This record gives sequence, C-alpha cells and structure tokens, in this order.
Amino acid sequence: MTFQRGDKIEIFQASTDDAWEDYMNDFIGCHGFIVDPDTSVNDPDALVEVSLEGKGTHRLPQDCMRRLGEQV
Amino acid sequence: MDKKICPVRQTILFLTTLIGPKGLPDPKGQRISEQILVLVEEIAEGTAGEAHLPAIEDLVKEYNDARNPEQTRMAGMTIQGLLDDHLEIFINHIQTRNCPTHDCGKLAPSPCQMACPAGIDIPTYLALIAQGKDAEAIEVIRRDNPLPWVCGLICTRPCEMMCVRARIDKAISIKFLKAFAAERAMSGRAYTNPTPRPANGKKVCVVGAGPGGLSCAYYLALMGYGVRIIEALPVPGGMLMVGIPRYRLPGEVINREVAMIEALGVKIQYNTRLGRDVTKEELDREGFEAYCIAIGAHKAWTLGIEGEKDFSNVFEAVRFLRDVALGDHRCPGKNVVVVGGGNVAIDAARTSLRLGAERVIIAYRRTRDQMPADVEEVEQAEEEGIEFSFLTIPAAVKGEGQNIHALSCIKAELKAKQGSDRLAPVPIEGGEFEIRADAVISAIGQYVDNEGMDAFTGINWSRRGTIDVNHAHMETAQPGVFAAGDAVSGPATVIEAIGGGKRAADAIDRYLRKIPQPRAPRTPVRHKTEPVLEMTAHRKMTLEPPKMPMLNLYRRRTTFQQVELGYEEADVRQEAARCLRCDICRRCGKCVDICRDKMGINALKLGYLDFDESGPTDFRVTAENCITCGACAANCENNALKIDEKDGRRRLLLCGTILNSQAIRYCESCGAKLGSEEYTRFIAGKTRNMTPATKTRLLCNNCLRRNAAVSNAANSGALPMV
Repeated sequence: MTFQRGDKIEIFQASTDDAWEDYMNDFIGCHGFIVDPDTSVNDPDALVEVSLEGKGTHRLPQDCMRRLGEQV
Repeated sequence: MDKKICPVRQTILFLTTLIGPKGLPDPKGQRISEQILVLVEEIAEGTAGEAHLPAIEDLVKEYNDARNPEQTRMAGMTIQGLLDDHLEIFINHIQTRNCPTHDCGKLAPSPCQMACPAGIDIPTYLALIAQGKDAEAIEVIRRDNPLPWVCGLICTRPCEMMCVRARIDKAISIKFLKAFAAERAMSGRAYTNPTPRPANGKKVCVVGAGPGGLSCAYYLALMGYGVRIIEALPVPGGMLMVGIPRYRLPGEVINREVAMIEALGVKIQYNTRLGRDVTKEELDREGFEAYCIAIGAHKAWTLGIEGEKDFSNVFEAVRFLRDVALGDHRCPGKNVVVVGGGNVAIDAARTSLRLGAERVIIAYRRTRDQMPADVEEVEQAEEEGIEFSFLTIPAAVKGEGQNIHALSCIKAELKAKQGSDRLAPVPIEGGEFEIRADAVISAIGQYVDNEGMDAFTGINWSRRGTIDVNHAHMETAQPGVFAAGDAVSGPATVIEAIGGGKRAADAIDRYLRKIPQPRAPRTPVRHKTEPVLEMTAHRKMTLEPPKMPMLNLYRRRTTFQQVELGYEEADVRQEAARCLRCDICRRCGKCVDICRDKMGINALKLGYLDFDESGPTDFRVTAENCITCGACAANCENNALKIDEKDGRRRLLLCGTILNSQAIRYCESCGAKLGSEEYTRFIAGKTRNMTPATKTRLLCNNCLRRNAAVSNAANSGALPMV
C-alpha cells in the first residue's frame, strides 16, 4: 500500500520493525492522517509521519497502519 | 487548598505557587520545586514511568535539609503529605495514564497543538494574532519553536491537517499567520528572547546548525547551559539554508532567527567538521558534558544507471541546491531533466528554471497522484512552466565526450507485485524513449553521512542508516549522547527536527540533573487560556480563508524573489478569528446529548465534534430552536459553552461565537427575571398541569402559584370574594 499525504489511517497492530518502541503500543486503535508519506520516495520500508487523534505526530513503520478510505 | 480537585493537579498548582514570584525564597527550594513539577506534570499527562515517584520522593527529602529556610521545609512537608495521603491516585495516574476526575486535562491541548511535532500552543497564538498582538504571539510560539518565521514559510503544517475547522469548511491557514506575526514582530523590533536562567557552568556541544541543532541549542541556552554548535558548512541553518531555495525561504529570515539564538550566548563554530577539524577527545577535554548530534541527511542516493558517472553535468540535487545557495548561480544547462518526485526534485527544477534553463522536465517513475511532493509545490512548478513526464524510468545518460545529449528512459506501468497490494512501476516492453537533456539532476532521496561519527563509539545505527534513539527523549545508547533531526528520522520535516531538538534539550537537562527520562514523548504543554473573541454565528460561518498573493510569473521564472508574498493585515486578523478554539471546547459532545436527549430540543447542530464521523455543522441553526435554557452550558466541563446576559438579552456562546441571543422578559407582577419568551413558553408547556399559564399577563411561577392559590381559596369559599 502506498500512503499519500492526507490519507486517513488506523494503527491496527504493533509493528515488527526495529523502529517500533514500547510507548507506541498506546497508539494501537488510534485513527489519524498521513502527514509526511515517505522519508525516501515511495519506499515501502520507509517510516511515515502520522498525526494521531489525541496522541500527536509520530514517525511510524508502515506495517502497523491501514488506510481508512478518506483523504483530506 | 481545594480538597475537591485531583491531588495530582493539586500538587501541580501548589508547586507552581512555590516557583512563582511569591513562592520559596531560596534558589535551592525553587530548583527542587521546578524538578518535581516537571515530574508531576508528566504523571498528570500520562507520560511518567516507574522511576518518577521514587525520584520525586528523593527530591522531596532535599527540602528537609536543616539549612533550608523554614518555608522551604514546610513546603516539603506539604508535598510529602500529598504523596502519603494520595499515593494510590498518583500510582493510578502512572499506570492507567488517566485522571478519573478529568482535572488533569483542564488545559488539554487542542488537536492542532497535539499534531505539531514541536507542540506549539496554536489556539493561544492565533487568538493573540486576531487581536493584533503579534509580538505576544511570537513569544508563545517560541516557547516550543525557536524558528517561527522559518516555519511560517516552509512548514509542512501537520497542524492544518488536524484542524477541526476543516471538518466544517477549510483549515485555518496557521502557517502563514505565523509568518506574518514573526515578520511584524521582527520589523517592529518586538521579537525578543526570553530571559535565560543564570549560567549553571555546564557545557553542551551540538553537532550541526540545522533546525534540530539550533532548536536544541536554544532551549539549552535558556536553561543556563553554555552551548557550542560545531557546523561543517560556512553558513547556519543546515538544509534550511542549503537545501531550500531562496524563493521559498529568504536567507535573511534564517539569519535573523539564528542571530536571536546567538544572542543568548550560543556559539556557532563554522567550517568545522567533527573528526576532521576537531575531535571528540578535544571537546571532552574542553569540558563538554553532553552532546547532541544533529548532522542532518546530506548524502544523496545515486540513480545507478549507465553514464551517470561519465558526465560532469549529472548532479545530485542536494549538491546542486547547496552550490546555488552558497553563491554558484551558473545555469546547469538549456534542457534540464530532474529525476524524482519529492519536494527536492521540485526545488531543483524550479531553481534550474530561475538560473536560465529553457526547458525543465521532471521525470517520475510513478503517477502524479503518487508524488510525495506537496500539491502546492507541484502546482506552482507547473504554473512556472516546469513539465512532467510521469511513469518514466531513467535508463541511461547518453552523450559524447563531456556533453550530455539525452536521458534515455523506459515508459512504465503500475502493477501489483505478487503478495502485495502496493503498485510498483514496471517497464513496458518496447517503451524506450529519450528526453533531450544537457543536464541531469537526480533527486531520489538522501541519507545520513556518518563520516566523523565513529568518535561516538557507543551509539547504534539503525538498519536505515540513521542514529538509533529512544524517541521519548532522543538519547542514544551512549550515555550523554543525544541526537535529533534528519540524522534520526532520515530526511524528514523541519518541524519534526525542531521538535526533536527541543526534546533532546529537555532530555540533556534531565540527564545532567540526574532526573529520570519520560516513558513516552511529553504531551504538549499549555500555559494559559487566552480569552475568546466574540462574533456572531453568521460571521463565524461565513468568514473565508484569504487567497495568497503571488509574485508575478515573469519574476518567478527569472529571479529568486519570494514567491508567496504574504497576507494583508486585515486578512490575517480575520483568518485568525476563524479558529474554533479547540483548546477550550474539547468536543466531548455532552452539550449536544443534553440538548437533544434530556431537553428534547435538539438545537445544536455541531457535526464537527466527531473525528471519525463528522456531520454537517451550522452555528446559525441553533437560534432556530434554542430557548437559552443553559442546560448545555451547565454541563460543559470546560466552560466552552456559556450563558450570559448582556444589554437585556440572554445569550448562548460557544467559545465566543454567539449561537443565540433572546430578549429577557420580566414578571409583570413582581419584576422577577423570567428568561426569554421561548424559554418561558417551554417551561409553561412543561408545567401547565401544575401552574396554569395565564394568557393575559406575563407572570413568574411564584406569582402564578400565588394567584392560583388565591383563586382556588376564593372558589372554595375560604376567602371572601373581592
């Protein structure tokens, strides 16, 4: 899945990536928007910046999130 | 002290008085109180770890030193008492990350503030800008971001993405309002630094003068540390100065804001690369006790295609942009092809055009809608005449001698790979074609240049080639070594670097003062709530965001003058007033529930309250059914909804927006206040079986009851008929 800026997403699972830290478990179930889609161009392995409702903006691995269909 | 409020909140309020002007008389007592306050605030926010309570108890013991003034020792006893009496509640806050009374959330951050990686208190500064208080707005911004002018011009604005106003119509133009306020404050010489704490004699070295490093240095300097920044370039700003072109971010803006940071005593040592011009051992010997690595991501990935290394006119975009920023204004070629789809590719293309290129084409291997570049940047590039070749995979650079003739490409189509729903560009057989070119610029991403970093033997590098840190406090695996910015995230956003730098500064301070680090990144802090601005529901609904005036196209194609010219003052004030003040209304929806379900009125059409399922909103509709009963306001925990009386009218206001205003009526018999006609009619309808309404006179319930009693008594013969 390629995430675009403005995609509405859900953090639906913990990531298996090294970049996943313990406190990020608090984000599971949160909804938010993709703010900065890629650190390098369209790399599925790149960390993407997401703004999560009530949890702030964080850079997370892509395997923890899924698109919810809307875009702002 | 008020016993009704949450003890954690109570402790915060008490500590705040201890460090205030009428607080403890001794610096030691103040210092202990400040340290405890940081830890208790984290308990309130839900970001505290297991080490927090033991650390607080250790600090409380310091109050009891017999040499301390009595007031300080008494303060220690009060805090110890709060801890002893309410230990379970403190532990509950840490474990559940929740305050059962909601007292700890009274100053809860708005969604825009939460979304900002630096945690800027956006509603507060927008309220100040709306009132024309630009310098005060800058003061609020710089509590969390030392570069408001820079960010006002180039931030990727996650705040606007989460702006609640966007659920009604369009997000507030937060970014441009910040730039306006910074420009006005700087121009009026009202852009000032806060007073730093007295020097504490400790020294910290920051490696890199980019946004992350500058942010870290600024906050450390304010905390009283001696800070030196080691910078490899001859200019400050890192990628701000050498990566972002001047037509987006004038150099003067960077220089002025960096000068403000230097005015706090931060020393920047230019043309100095760690490991080459200075060694860590030398810095250790000079007495630096902690380091923050903020070296950015300045190395570019190469295309890896035939001919790439054979011609001098094949550039990496980051090198090209750096050379231009440092004064090399030679045109790269008549026909320039830029390979890539991100903002760096757009910057390289627009820069080539301004240097005199006749034709500039951006070759991107995917489709337009998959470009990571900002939509506005892409649109502006197109307006200036930049062409795009989508679904184009570069294959080889063709030419003779030192002259490039063309970039050989293959047309691609997007196909899903087996086991993945992600579409990848796949070359189409027979799709070879050439784009005429005499210069090729690659802009396909950057990575961290770790040269010289081997001096930090204890740090770990991630598999992505970035410095591995705990993002809650930016500390590496090597004690005393912290990192921030692109060096940690890979090439990312300026505001993310600024937020990381601020977190690193906070963590360095805690490291040097030996207080525990937070478990999770701290929740942004709000210091106060600005009063709301009153306006009618009609005005609140019909205000429209202004359109950005742009430099004319001829100049955009030929000069590096700033393209976005900034809003007019009247537009800025009006746009700031469009803010919904989500720092006050927390969108809990109780008001809607009570009005609809308990009162049966359903006057509030506030569809924007829900994040996931927003519905239509119209503040003007409230007046159609609202009876100004005040049930919504009485149940609003944060006083976002208020009922007041002004000029003989009862009004319902939501964060300053007048949702309804009805004339107050009075009892014709005793003069008691009755509320509005609609309210009286509603109450009369509910109570008509008990106190029959009179159709001829407007009476309060007491007078109605008295009249009814007199009438009943007379009818029964108990009283003589008059």
